[in-house]
Amino acid sequence: MEPIQYAARLNEFYRSQGFPPYNWTINEGAPLMRLAKPLGRCRIAMLTSGGVSRKDAAPFNPQARNDLRLDPIDRETPAHFFAINDDYYNHADADRDINCIFPIDRLRELAAEGVIGEVAPHHYSGFMGRIYVRTAVMNEAAPALARKLREESVDAFVLVPA
Amino acid sequence: MVEASGIPTVVVSTGRDLSAQVRPPRTVFVNFPMGNPFGRPFNTAQQRAILLDALRALETVEQGGAMIDLPYEWGENFAMKLGSGYQAKSA
Repeated sequence: MEPIQYAARLNEFYRSQGFPPYNWTINEGAPLMRLAKPLGRCRIAMLTSGGVSRKDAAPFNPQARNDLRLDPIDRETPAHFFAINDDYYNHADADRDINCIFPIDRLRELAAEGVIGEVAPHHYSGFMGRIYVRTAVMNEAAPALARKLREESVDAFVLVPA
Repeated sequence: MVEASGIPTVVVSTGRDLSAQVRPPRTVFVNFPMGNPFGRPFNTAQQRAILLDALRALETVEQGGAMIDLPYEWGENFAMKLGSGYQAKSA
């Protein structure tokens, strides 16, 4: 099947509800950094924005707006030790197996096999959507995340939006 | 922002048009439902293959803003879920 046109569908939905048009982020270009070393020697971290929290942390608020919360997720967290609170996508499958959206077991396996160098000490979960404060993200939250990744010598970062 | 700070990034996306607008440095697009970017529960081979495709894009992409369409088929039609969150907004 053809890819779903999410933006057009959402524009139509917002209009039908009498909301002002959503101000989509549209970028013309992107920077590109090369990997500094082969994948087999890289330390990799991941990010999910799917409302995923560890069971020993507070759940995400599915109705939140402008929630810039970002949880560090210890790399050894077991796959069954997560809760998902997000009303904007169907996470029934991921509720059963977190690896559907956040393949923490698969990344550990690739590290054990030497396909990647190692899993970084922490992954991240947050930026779960309905964020309308782009300046705060660009000037504060994203640089803070980049700083944490550099502090833990992360070589590459896999982002999984939801 | 992370890429600009010196760390290569790759996005695993289920929203092709959304990623095309944002243009992350590297995107691998998977034409699966938004809750299944790595596929079906407990299908470890599929999850692993998609994660590997994303990691390989870190090595192979040479142009910022590249989008790689992965060849996987979900196997049945699926629709956008205007979830309870969207319903709540209209209440």
